[in-house]
Amino acid sequence: MEDFRELLDDCVHCGFCLPTCPTYQLWGEEMDSPRGRIHLMSQHEQGEPLSGPMIEHFDRCLGCMACVTACPSGVKYDRLIEVTRAKVEDERPRGRTDRLLREAIFAFFPYPKRLRLLRGPLRAYQASKINMAPLLNRISPTLAAMERLAPPRASHVRLPERVAARGERRAVVGMLTGCVQREFFPGVNAATARVLAMEGCDVVISKDQGCCGALSLHSGRAAEARAFAKKTIETFADVDVVVVNAAGCGSAMKDYGDVLADEPEWAERAREFSVKTRDLTEYLAELGPRATRHPLEITVAYHDACHLAHAQGIRVQPRALLAGIPGLEIREIADPEICCGSAGVYNLLQPEAAGELGDRKAANVSATGADLLVAANPGCSLQIATALRRRGEEIAVAHTAEVLDASIRGIGKEQLSPRR
Amino acid sequence: MTQVIDALAKACEVRPAEPEDAVQGVGAAYVAAPATVTEAGELMRAAAEHRLTVVPRGAGTKLHWGAPPERCDLIVETRRLGRLIEHTAGDLVVKAEAGLPLEKLQEAVSGTRQQLALDALVPGATVGGTLATATAGPRRLLYGSARDLLIGITVVRADGVVAHAGGKVVKNVAGYDLGKLFTGSRGTLGLITEAAFRLHPLPQASAYVSATVADAAAALELTRALRRSSLVPSAIEVDGPDPITVTVLLEGFAGGVPARAEAARDLIGGRITEEPPGWWGRLPDGEVLAEVRAAPSKLTAVFQEAPAHVRGSAGRGVWHVGLPAGDAEQALDRLRRHGSAVVLSAPDGTALDRWGPVPALALMRRVKDQFDPEHRLSPGRFAGGI
Amino acid sequence: MGDVSTAGLDGLAERLRVVAGAGNVITDPAELRTYECDGLTYHRATPGIVVLPDSAEQIAEIVRACTAEGVPYIARGSGTGLSGGALPRTDGVLIVTSRMRRILEIDIDDERAVVEPGVINLDVTKAVRSQGYYYAPDPSSQQICSIGGNVAENSGGAHCLKYGFTVNHVLACEVVTPDGEIVEISEAPGYDLLGAFVGSEGTLGITTKITVRLTRLPEKVETLLAAFDTIESAGEAVSAIISAGVVPAAIEMMDALSIEAAEAAVACDYPPGAGAVLVVELDGPTAEVDHQFAQVKELCDAAFEIRVAADDTERALIWRGRKSAFAAVGRISPDYIVQDGVIPRTALPEVLARIDELSGDSGVRVANVFHAGDGNLHPLVLFDDAVPGAAERAEMVSGQILDLCIEHGGSITGEHGVGVDKAKHMPRMFTEEDLDTMQMVRCAFDPAGLCNPGKVYPTPRLCGEVPGRRTGVHPLVESGKADLF
Repeated sequence: MEDFRELLDDCVHCGFCLPTCPTYQLWGEEMDSPRGRIHLMSQHEQGEPLSGPMIEHFDRCLGCMACVTACPSGVKYDRLIEVTRAKVEDERPRGRTDRLLREAIFAFFPYPKRLRLLRGPLRAYQASKINMAPLLNRISPTLAAMERLAPPRASHVRLPERVAARGERRAVVGMLTGCVQREFFPGVNAATARVLAMEGCDVVISKDQGCCGALSLHSGRAAEARAFAKKTIETFADVDVVVVNAAGCGSAMKDYGDVLADEPEWAERAREFSVKTRDLTEYLAELGPRATRHPLEITVAYHDACHLAHAQGIRVQPRALLAGIPGLEIREIADPEICCGSAGVYNLLQPEAAGELGDRKAANVSATGADLLVAANPGCSLQIATALRRRGEEIAVAHTAEVLDASIRGIGKEQLSPRR
Repeated sequence: MTQVIDALAKACEVRPAEPEDAVQGVGAAYVAAPATVTEAGELMRAAAEHRLTVVPRGAGTKLHWGAPPERCDLIVETRRLGRLIEHTAGDLVVKAEAGLPLEKLQEAVSGTRQQLALDALVPGATVGGTLATATAGPRRLLYGSARDLLIGITVVRADGVVAHAGGKVVKNVAGYDLGKLFTGSRGTLGLITEAAFRLHPLPQASAYVSATVADAAAALELTRALRRSSLVPSAIEVDGPDPITVTVLLEGFAGGVPARAEAARDLIGGRITEEPPGWWGRLPDGEVLAEVRAAPSKLTAVFQEAPAHVRGSAGRGVWHVGLPAGDAEQALDRLRRHGSAVVLSAPDGTALDRWGPVPALALMRRVKDQFDPEHRLSPGRFAGGI
Repeated sequence: MGDVSTAGLDGLAERLRVVAGAGNVITDPAELRTYECDGLTYHRATPGIVVLPDSAEQIAEIVRACTAEGVPYIARGSGTGLSGGALPRTDGVLIVTSRMRRILEIDIDDERAVVEPGVINLDVTKAVRSQGYYYAPDPSSQQICSIGGNVAENSGGAHCLKYGFTVNHVLACEVVTPDGEIVEISEAPGYDLLGAFVGSEGTLGITTKITVRLTRLPEKVETLLAAFDTIESAGEAVSAIISAGVVPAAIEMMDALSIEAAEAAVACDYPPGAGAVLVVELDGPTAEVDHQFAQVKELCDAAFEIRVAADDTERALIWRGRKSAFAAVGRISPDYIVQDGVIPRTALPEVLARIDELSGDSGVRVANVFHAGDGNLHPLVLFDDAVPGAAERAEMVSGQILDLCIEHGGSITGEHGVGVDKAKHMPRMFTEEDLDTMQMVRCAFDPAGLCNPGKVYPTPRLCGEVPGRRTGVHPLVESGKADLF
């Protein structure tokens, strides 16, 4: 890993990151901008102990990496905040409530089976149609946020371990099913597997796969992240390409090289793994379209998930794939570089800020007048749909994979109807 | 008396004033004409020593503007400060002394197909007088006014100190922009002795499109259409009310202007001419001449409130109105509801609120107190009796 | 780091909490330090207090409270200035306008908008573009710099060659004067206080509301990138274009070193092997632009490659390299000084040759980026602070470049401002009398000398006895010396 001090020194204090930082947009304070946070990191590096305010400003960072895109000096803010978060976890014990909340989150989210158990009570809320929010809000805004984001009811789909290519085989790919994706959006995984197969790929879907470690990595839980990374590398040892449909997972997997750089027996494997990781849209663009696209008469607002656009630099490919569908019209959302506030577990840890950012994004999405919101990250779709609902608006949401699937199968746009 | 004139004569050429040197009926004692900036500095220092009130004079074309001075001991003429100091064509910059007539400056730079893109509203006006009165004509729409074209200035302070600000490069943010402060200061802050301007290339071609309309509302519609167009006119002027004419000036390359002129005619009707209408770039007639500034959409209001001649930049929202003396006070009151209205000239002895409400007047007084603590420079001619 | 002498400011902080709300006053040491510098990191001073007001009334009260206690105050927008104009004072209050970012009014009919000072420059354009208008001044930092900061600095930008500077596009400002009064200033009637205020670098008051002129979007824009073997031949092309009577919207030049940096930063894909590139942009009515563009292409015939932007995306890519150039130099050098000087355009070849000599003699690398149309040079003087003596050598070369500008009748700053950084150079460009005269304006606005003291002028003009001034060291005399490193 590069020397932390050197990484800090890359910042020339030009301020180009400020307008793309969601928290600077919200509060307009230097300390809640990337430039200010780097300054705080420097202070700590020079010997200032981590203070409560410092940690608060680090915690408020969404990790959206819009600043990485905006930075002309090439500051690796992603590495800086990752390292800093690990330092915070190591050096400063958190308060009881905060600690319990974090423990609770990390006891559930990276474990699909436990997530499944959690769904029972959440479904009960939804089925009862009792609005629990005011009560929950009083107990804890965080629990209220979880309730608000409770995903739609969807029956569990069991994917086979191998899906065979349609027509002549062009490649064999492994597929990551993800934790939240698998439990809350099984339809997206099914669509992903079908699209890959229809484009001529044998899709290998290992049953043994677990969490990729993204949430842990982006929250300063370094040891946990390393363990998840190693497990994932082993799971996909036999395929040449690993296709991911969740932006957060993909960006973490592309970072494995850095995450395991200090472990000699893993470093090389991790680097190779990162190189063979592809976002679904990235991979489909490389492969080139083969399956026939059937028309979908629909207007689509395409949302750039931060971990796709900023962390992986993937903006053109999903738009191109969508534009390749006859009849489909893409509408751009204003301020596309600004995070929607979902940001992994951010909406659980910083519900007020996340809510405000969600409202802003919802207003911009609403202004497009599109029929369908498409995003590559389940968290984003949930966050924006929830925020739209607060405005009294409904929008259908779909993953890029689902739209492609609907077009290739010719099943029509009705399949992409609003979820409730 | 002789002691004073001797002191002044040590600085430069000086003579006792004649009756015709009076400024709006206020008789002067001496008229001095420095030939260099150094002489001007010495002259002003001598005037300061003898506590003389000073009124600067260029060609005298606008000396009747503003209120009469409270006193006028010394008139400082700039006619001998009439040199063109520097014209570097490659830099599109010219520097001249204050007494140089604008026409001569234009003549000098036109040899390299360049121009100072500033219309003199009054024939014969000098560089210094144009700056002191901040006059600008139709092309202020595209090029801005004197303040926008001025890049450097030399002034002599009330105490005789010579000071510079700006320079001779177009882009320059070093120090306060005294040039803008002095532009329009009517000789109340100091004596302008030199000025540097940015120049523009002379256009290869120009065309005027004029349309006559039924009323001010129609004129506003035409000017609005022109502003919303992509034609980039150099000027959009209106003249009326009898009749109301809208004239637009298009300048540019020979290959481009005809097409733009035709597009303008398609937009507003009327006819295309190579020469401007007779009233173009001249002040309107009228006993009381005032400059009205308001948002461009106030055009109809200006016509409505001014029972007189209106002429000016409909694009920028700066008009000159010529009012009959009897109605002037009421008309000015009404006009001031829409913007500012400043009386430039009025018949001697007319009692008028020449300035109307001036925001930040207290600050202006403090600026005056700094530059001219004894209030000897054109006293009483400016806003708030400055 | 100097000690933070906030001791005497506790009472004021309490007062400001009442005025602006407790959540809008910062006194935590670590948080305060994040405000220790603007875009120029060479000068640092931790502010005594930071306050983030929400209205002109709050700012007026803050100014009155500071004045009552004789505490200096400094306004700051987005903190992107490059001359240390918003450098705080350890014994002062930093008034940050970044939360005053509402666009209050858009009046397309009269082609103007009214904005608060914290509104981002580019956001004005974003708000009116769909209606066919834009805000013309476009400093390279336009995506983050604030309109209030632009007013303070009289910011220009690549397109000011044709469209002028901030001062040419501001119609009126509401200002909190150092008296704590809220006044409206404009070009007329009366003195053009607006003309003096714009570009006064925050020393005459704090603007709280700005009326800006909106400009009609041009019918056509053409942008070309011309790659030349040498910087001389690029310079000749610039002269030829200007002599032909063409006024492009912009002519920008970059030399090989700055191209290398931009390439590393934003992969702008400029032609490889170029000794210099020119970016020339023409805009206006189609009939005019087509004619001029053909002419410009001919005049660039010495170029080994000319690329014409086919659409807005390609245009953005061409500009991206240029606009990110300053920060991009961070990719090729650990440290650097961004210089900003102006020369008459005709002196360009000679001055560039001399800069080359200076660089060669001293071994200090200099990357050149400049607004070639108006002779505004931005030499980037590269150094590595880890090497002993390197910073001093770079500082020396940087100063010598300013000498060249002054020698050729130019200016020590074209757009970055004097700030704290160049105050010492002012006496080389202006006489003592000039500076004294300029400061008479300051004495009129701010007799107590508490409004951003120590900026622009190396030595303060004493304005006479003013009640309420605190005793001890004159706030101006010790000014600007806080925490230099």
